[in-house]
Amino acid sequence: MKISALRLFNVKRFAQRGVAIEGIGNGVNVLCAVNEFGKSTSFEALHALFFQPHSGTPGDVQRLRPYSGGSPLVEADIATEEGRYRLTKQYYGGRFARVTDLATGRLVAQADEAEAFIAGLIRGGTAGPAGLLWVRQGLTGIEKRSKSEEDSEKQVRASLLESVQGEVEAVTGGRRMAEIMAAAQEALAELVTPSGKPKANGRYAAAIDARDRLTAQEQRLAEDVRVLREALDRRAVAVKRLAELDDAGERQARRKAVETAQASFDAAKAQGEALRTAEAEWKLARERRTAAERELTAFRTVLATSDAHWAALQGAEQRRDEAVARRHAASAGVEQAHAEVAAAEAAEQEARQRLARVEAALKARETLARHAALSERLAGAEAARQALEGAQARLAVETLPAGAVEELQALEIDIAKLRAVEEAARPSVAIAYQPGAASPVLMDATPLREGEERGYEGQAQLVIPGLGTLTLRSNRPPQDNSRLEKALARHRALLAAMGVATLAAARARQIRAQQIESEARELQGRLALLAPEGLARLREAAAMPGAVEAEAPGPDEDPAPLRASLAATEARRTLARQALRAAEPLRARADEAFVEAETALAALRAERTQIEAILGPAEARGARLQELSERFAERDRHSAAAEAQLQRLRATVIDLESAEAALRRSRSVEDAADKEAATLREAIAGLNAQIGTRSDEAVEEMWGEAKEALAAASARVEGFAAEIRVLQRLASALEAARAQARDLYLKPVMAELTPLLGLLFDDAAITFDDKTLLPQTLRRNGHEEDVERLSGGMREQLSVLTRLAFARLLARDGRPAPVILDDALVYSDDDRIERMFDALHRQSRDQQIIVFSCRQRAFQKLGGNVLTMTDWQP
Amino acid sequence: MFRFLHSSDLHLGKRFGNFSGDLPSRLREARHGVIARLAQHAREQGAATILLAGDTFDTETPAPDVRRQALAEMRHHAPLRWVLLPGNHDSLQATQLWATLTAEAPDNVILATQARPLDLAPGVVLLPAPCTTRRPGRDLTEWMDAQPTPEGTLRLGLAHGAIRSFSEDAVAGDVIAPDRARRAGLAYLALGDWHGAVEIDPRTRYSGTPEPDRFKHEAPGTALLVSLAGASALPEVTALPTASFAWRDLDLHLLEGDDPLLALAAVLPEARARRQTLARLIATGRTRLAGQAALAGAVAEAAPDFAFLELVEAGLVTACEADDLDLIDRGGALREAANALLAEAGDASRSAAEREVARAALARLYSYAQGAAP
Repeated sequence: MKISALRLFNVKRFAQRGVAIEGIGNGVNVLCAVNEFGKSTSFEALHALFFQPHSGTPGDVQRLRPYSGGSPLVEADIATEEGRYRLTKQYYGGRFARVTDLATGRLVAQADEAEAFIAGLIRGGTAGPAGLLWVRQGLTGIEKRSKSEEDSEKQVRASLLESVQGEVEAVTGGRRMAEIMAAAQEALAELVTPSGKPKANGRYAAAIDARDRLTAQEQRLAEDVRVLREALDRRAVAVKRLAELDDAGERQARRKAVETAQASFDAAKAQGEALRTAEAEWKLARERRTAAERELTAFRTVLATSDAHWAALQGAEQRRDEAVARRHAASAGVEQAHAEVAAAEAAEQEARQRLARVEAALKARETLARHAALSERLAGAEAARQALEGAQARLAVETLPAGAVEELQALEIDIAKLRAVEEAARPSVAIAYQPGAASPVLMDATPLREGEERGYEGQAQLVIPGLGTLTLRSNRPPQDNSRLEKALARHRALLAAMGVATLAAARARQIRAQQIESEARELQGRLALLAPEGLARLREAAAMPGAVEAEAPGPDEDPAPLRASLAATEARRTLARQALRAAEPLRARADEAFVEAETALAALRAERTQIEAILGPAEARGARLQELSERFAERDRHSAAAEAQLQRLRATVIDLESAEAALRRSRSVEDAADKEAATLREAIAGLNAQIGTRSDEAVEEMWGEAKEALAAASARVEGFAAEIRVLQRLASALEAARAQARDLYLKPVMAELTPLLGLLFDDAAITFDDKTLLPQTLRRNGHEEDVERLSGGMREQLSVLTRLAFARLLARDGRPAPVILDDALVYSDDDRIERMFDALHRQSRDQQIIVFSCRQRAFQKLGGNVLTMTDWQP
Repeated sequence: MFRFLHSSDLHLGKRFGNFSGDLPSRLREARHGVIARLAQHAREQGAATILLAGDTFDTETPAPDVRRQALAEMRHHAPLRWVLLPGNHDSLQATQLWATLTAEAPDNVILATQARPLDLAPGVVLLPAPCTTRRPGRDLTEWMDAQPTPEGTLRLGLAHGAIRSFSEDAVAGDVIAPDRARRAGLAYLALGDWHGAVEIDPRTRYSGTPEPDRFKHEAPGTALLVSLAGASALPEVTALPTASFAWRDLDLHLLEGDDPLLALAAVLPEARARRQTLARLIATGRTRLAGQAALAGAVAEAAPDFAFLELVEAGLVTACEADDLDLIDRGGALREAANALLAEAGDASRSAAEREVARAALARLYSYAQGAAP
């Protein structure tokens, strides 16, 4: 926007007259006139046109009015990109505002619409600085300031600091913004810390504490109430249950159940005993049946084997007789052999004596001859004697005591016999009943049958009906086996003494000894033949040749036949001995066979005795079998009957365990009921105490109170929280707006300002605070100075430059705005003014600048378009 | 002619923890005072019997002083007879309470703890339906239908609980048959539980609490004087005032041009009554930023007159125009902040809570701006 003309009528000192400043062009325009010429009036009127609504009459508007009153009228022609317009406003009487298009003369807007049009021109959005940038003498903005404030030196200095800050405030809200933010922050700080936490000891923290305390209290009381209610409920349940338990009908029913179960249990127990008796009876009957069966079976078995046994016995007897016969025969053979040996030996002896005599005679005749042969004989004799000694030594080993073998044999037979006798030696009893005997005699509770022979051990009792009891005692020492044992001991001793295992071995040794003995006897005979007077004499004879005196010569008989006869007898004797040797083993074998047969027979006889005992007399056996069979059948029936009885009982029996369980259960029900009732009474007593205490404390009322107080406290906390949210939102909105303003305008303005500063102060540099964007220090001649110490002129210049920088920024944004200066450079020296003029001209290439000044001389150097005021009548 | 007083829901011992200062004590004391006021009405109206239809006590375990002082007060008014029915707050489940009451009750206090006929006067029988538990879940008055009484007897019912949606607990649902009086041939059925007085039919009524304890019911606390000319005659019922405190919701509806202070002055009760008044000022409609600030200030100013005064402005829309914003600032960052908050307050895409915060922040900005140097 650019201003091309300003007209005013009836404003301030121009009462009832008007002036016009026309021909305002681009670049620098200067209205230079003496004081009280109307420059400031024009400035204020222009300001009012743009910033004071036509309908209001605030102080600024009042000041426009002349002392004589009337309606001030202000008019300006402007040019924008859209076109050229005329803005007209009149205040007070006949107030109006309108906008006309200068090109067409058309009325564009009036009244509020016109105000809106004007607002759009100067604002171009509320965020930016005013579209018109104003600088007045000593002032940095259009804000209202008190007179005293303006006048005070201190304020002058401060306001100079704000020569830039003025525009800064225009966009950042200025001190009001600071105040409002401070108020919001203060209110917030009372509640929360900068980090957003509740402030200690603050009202918000106190409210939170109160709420938390109440929450805890409410929870504690709620728990108390819950416990109390639970106790009440539990007591109600307990009381109800106790009433049920104590109910007379229920009690009676439980008692009756116990009694019924008890009766049932007793009946079951009685039945059980009967059952056990029946079982015992059945078992007895079964055992008796089994015994009868066993007896019957045994009888039948023995009966079946009896005949075979008998045959075996007969066979054994026959074999024994045969063995005896064979033994007799063998003994006879031996006797005969002995006799033959004796006869043969006698014959030999006789033959030998005859020969001896013949030979003696011969010898005598042949003394000398014999003499020679003596030595030979001696040698033979020595040899014979040696052989004899060997045989005798062997014999000493093999010889058995005389009669020992025979004794052994006799003992063995004796043992067999003793054993047989032992078997058959038990005492027995038998009875023959008179005809018509009423009932049989009972032996050991068993009837004794006619003719039955029954054995016994020690003693037996016979019950004779009608007479009494007959006791039989064998009076035999029990198991008298001493003879047998003695015989056996002797038998063992004999075997041990002989050093043999059996009789047969003894026999074999005996025969060996006899052979050695006969051999020795033969050698003896030979020795005797060779040295009949002994060896010593033979040795003497042999040693003394010629000392032998010839005896009377004996019969002169040819010895040869004698010798033949001797040889024959010797042969006969040898034969006889051989026969004897053959006969003796035969007899030993016959002896053994006899013992064997005897033993077998003894065993069979013992068995027979047993069989006979079992079977009894042969003629009664049929009856016995019959009787046994009948007895078995009868006991079988009995057993079956007992079993049937048992089954019957079992079928009808009451289960004792069930009855007992039922009894236990009913008893436990009764006990449990009693116990429960007792427990309930205790529990009720405990609950009574608990409830009584709690009730008196009135916890429920306290709970209700706490709940309501908690709700109130929570609402209060929430109220504070909402307050905090509001304040935080406000603070953030303010902060955001200020930050946005800085970012959008101040930084770019500073960027624009820096070269302008360089233009003006070639010897100084100003640094700006990054955060506040305010001038901080001035650096001049290498010295840093506090910016507050700047001279009035310098601040003034800074102020103007700042506006210029804003204006440049706006122009660059496509929203050009005029810069209006009213006596803005009063403190500046000539040199600086010229520099400022340079700056203004430099700016004015694309910027409208309107300067009002009373310093005519100084401003002549400014150049530019010189404006003049003319009278104007609307 | 038989006359009696019908009341209920005394809630003796209620503590009002949601208020502060001495108000809870005063409210609590007021509940006790109701006993004397009921007795005075009964004497003045010639009624010998006062039926209390449940919730005489606020809890199942009232403090001993509450219980004993109540009984002492009732005894003081002999020969007036008081009939106390167990309600849901003081149900029979509170065995301790009723056992103690049975032990301590004077002769002129009758405890209707059993569902069986009680002879009130010759030819007048009371059929009580005591609450067995806090929530019985069934119609306890059903037995009245089948209960025989001699011909021509005046049958009165006494019960506590909900019919339709009149329950104070809002969970019990539909419990007592609404036509119980007709079904059971009752001349009058006195009900308790609902704290406001309600007529269900000519013979069935809730008396409401004689001393209100919340803002829910607009009507002031009353007791019902019931006169019965005979079994067939309709009861003649008169409501008698009994409350010492008034609980009021004050409706303040503002149009944009209205002056909130004038509207406020019109709804506030007269000064002397305020001490006994608990009021919630329910502001609705529209107002400008200035009006809202003024209203909040006026309410804060008036609050000390009242037992309790609260401004509820959730329903009040704050209108904001450009000149309201001009009063904050015509331009610059302050105006930008105000614009941003106003836009946020009207931004439908934001949550209601956010909009409300923005609205309140704008109002606050306004009030700060008025307080700050121009």
